[in-house]
Amino acid sequence: MLEWLYKDMLTFFPEGVSTYSKQLDDMFAVIYWFSVVIFFLTYGLLIAFIIKYRFNPNRKGYHFHGSNALEFTWTLLPSIVFILIGLWSEDMWTRTKSEWRVPHPDVSVEVMAYQFGWNIRYPGPDGVFGKKDRSQMTPSNPFGIDKNDPAGFDDLITMNQIHLPINKNVVVNLSTMDVIHSFFLPNFRVKQDALPGQWIKIWFNGFKSGKYELACAELCGSGHYSMRGEVFMQSEVEYDKWLDEKYSAIKANLLANPPALPTPTVEEPAKESHH
Amino acid sequence: MDTATISLHETTNHSHDHDHSHDHHELSFVQKYIFSTDHKVIARQFLFVALFFLLVGGFMAMLIRWQLAYPGEAIPLIGKFLPDTLVAGGAIQPNFYAQLLSMHGTIMIFLVIIPLAVGAFGNQCIPLMIGTDDMALPKLNMYSFWLVPPAGMLVCAGFFVEGGSAAAGWTSYPTLAALADKGQTLWLVGMFLVGFSSIMGAVNYITTILNKRAKGMTMFRMPLTVWALFITAILITLGTPVLAAAISMQFMDQFLHTSFFVPSHLVHAKGALYSGGGQPILWQHLFWFYSHPAVYIMILPTMGIVSDVLSTFSRKPIFGYKAMIFAIMGIAFLGFIVWGHHMFQSGMNPLLGTTFMLSTIVIAVPSAIKIFNWLGTIWRGNIKFATANLNALAFIATFVIGGLSGIFMASAPVDIYIHDTYFIVAHIHYVLFGGSLFGIFAGIYYWFPKMFGKMLNESWGRKHFYWSFAFFNLTFYPMHILGVGGHMRRVYDPYVYDFLKHFQPMNQFITISAFILGASQLILIFNILWSLKYGRNAPRNPWRANTLDWAAPAKPGHGNFDKDITVYRGPYEYSHPDRKLDYWPQWEAPEVVGDENKSQVSSLSHGGH
Repeated sequence: MLEWLYKDMLTFFPEGVSTYSKQLDDMFAVIYWFSVVIFFLTYGLLIAFIIKYRFNPNRKGYHFHGSNALEFTWTLLPSIVFILIGLWSEDMWTRTKSEWRVPHPDVSVEVMAYQFGWNIRYPGPDGVFGKKDRSQMTPSNPFGIDKNDPAGFDDLITMNQIHLPINKNVVVNLSTMDVIHSFFLPNFRVKQDALPGQWIKIWFNGFKSGKYELACAELCGSGHYSMRGEVFMQSEVEYDKWLDEKYSAIKANLLANPPALPTPTVEEPAKESHH
Repeated sequence: MDTATISLHETTNHSHDHDHSHDHHELSFVQKYIFSTDHKVIARQFLFVALFFLLVGGFMAMLIRWQLAYPGEAIPLIGKFLPDTLVAGGAIQPNFYAQLLSMHGTIMIFLVIIPLAVGAFGNQCIPLMIGTDDMALPKLNMYSFWLVPPAGMLVCAGFFVEGGSAAAGWTSYPTLAALADKGQTLWLVGMFLVGFSSIMGAVNYITTILNKRAKGMTMFRMPLTVWALFITAILITLGTPVLAAAISMQFMDQFLHTSFFVPSHLVHAKGALYSGGGQPILWQHLFWFYSHPAVYIMILPTMGIVSDVLSTFSRKPIFGYKAMIFAIMGIAFLGFIVWGHHMFQSGMNPLLGTTFMLSTIVIAVPSAIKIFNWLGTIWRGNIKFATANLNALAFIATFVIGGLSGIFMASAPVDIYIHDTYFIVAHIHYVLFGGSLFGIFAGIYYWFPKMFGKMLNESWGRKHFYWSFAFFNLTFYPMHILGVGGHMRRVYDPYVYDFLKHFQPMNQFITISAFILGASQLILIFNILWSLKYGRNAPRNPWRANTLDWAAPAKPGHGNFDKDITVYRGPYEYSHPDRKLDYWPQWEAPEVVGDENKSQVSSLSHGGH
């Protein structure tokens, strides 16, 4: 309850598991230590002045209107520091967010948010996403997969659970069916709003296997809090095994039944009840 | 009067006020207190209405805090009196939680801070501090106030309509907001009225300041409060019409099913009503084009107030008067080209993100200049710790933290992680509660004597300050840490997430602090009511300040001044070495060189003859 009083703020970050999480945390830490220094400087002066120059009936204040040299100094110094922070941020920013710096994808998935959950789409055994058409979007066809494109028949769609391999560049193509949501992976330091009517590409590369949480970070209605998803980071072997299982089921299904659109399936009971 | 008996710092009532001697004619009760065109009455109306909404908005904050500390548990005492549409078994429901957080933000920003900082202090201070009888456009001024109560009632009426009040956050992003129910429509109409009120007030402030200054009151002899309100008024006239346009567009989206902000092919119950082709992100651009300058609309006036209070109670000229003015201008100008920093993660082009990041980082410079100048002001001063000054010093202390936490989110890549987390909540409350509201408290304690002719009780004032300041920090500082832990904003139940479960004890700590912080504000309300009835009568110039407002009688009547005002010097001539007194009012005629005794007499006998 009171650990924030004595523990360093930086220790409260959830474990970073993407390739750029450390760099982003380091940037945070640099600004943090800069702030700590400025904080103690200004508070030191403030408290010292309050004590030293407290009211004394036998004294008068110093009649002094200011100094241009000082004004110039304390305009220039912060300007330099802030511009350095800005330039340093600039490279990190384009690296994480600019489409032209998204690395070559090893794995591509599509994510379609809705009130209140996430649909995740894999390209299927043929490795190709079926064509999308927003006018065909319905709750049972969340991605608007074109009914006339055979490449879409074998696509795999899961709900609220994403399986991904570690040490691979993952590119997520993100959109939403209804209102604005925000795709937030705390451990990966990934956050991107999903806009209706628009696709946005983001990328990350996770290096540690395990189960992580996916949250919605943009108010999207009364169920906003409940948009919890899970990300399973697996070794390449395990990931391929999971994908094979899923894909052979799809193939078997396609053989048994005439081609039909995939519908979202809940893989396993996703949520533990709380409280 | 024997000057030798007046000691240097003693506060004496050397004005013999004749408050009613200059009333021009008798006004009816309605003209005098309700539909009044007197700027001072309008200031008091703004003050009381905004303080009422402060209690309403604060009460909502308490409910929000209860839910975050004890989700799903019945609200103590009042839970069982709330209707089933909002609570289940006395516990807050998700839809009610969304309504609460939206209305808390809306009320605090549009019905508390702006009416207090701009409405109340703008009206009270501008005519008095520039030495004129009233605003240039008194009727417009009256209309400006009388739009606020209906706007507040409309917004709050949302709780009584089907579907509840607005629940899309105070930012009201479409498509969520565009597809929402009647409560959102009421919100839009209310915000439109509030915006109009702001514009009317601002036009009036600009006109008054440019045209009605007393003889000798050049622009660079105006107190910083007036300067700050002047620049703020310019911000309002440039920014608010854009908000009004955006609100009109969203209103049409809701009511006439146009598609300004609604894209094609939504999978939503109301999706079929729209032709589509709109852009939800367009709203964000228009909204933040107003609402980022609005942050400065809320903080600049209080920066002016704090400058005046600090200089008066430090008995020292403000450090770098012109630098302060240029810093205000710099903040105002840059404030219009940084709105995109609210949208780094919104899906706008990352190149735009780069541009907005650089402009945002630059705006930290004038803010830093102001902090250094305030420190320079108290340096080698002779600081009196009146309640007004305690609140002004608290403003500096919290604004330092609020400013520093702003650097984190100004850096776009760092913002990726902390965006929409409690780090942002901590930042906005350090700036708007710690900054604006403590500045407003300073203003209330400082100008209460001139507004009501009574002194506020200093002992209760100090109690209010110490409790507020301590529990403000205990409430909002830990929120930075929640944010670093990844705790999202606006979540009904954070403990759905495993990575947030360990934060429940900290949330409980914050909630207890928030309850005490909320209760502390009752001291202020009590103090105001008590002092209005039993307070000591205020002298004409209780703080021995220099600005023109203190040349007016203790409780100025219609027309303000009981003598002609000429301004001879700047507003901050404290502790001048050639003078025995440690202040030198702007209205005091220059003394004849070498005849100190005479000048003392003239300064002391200044009050109302």
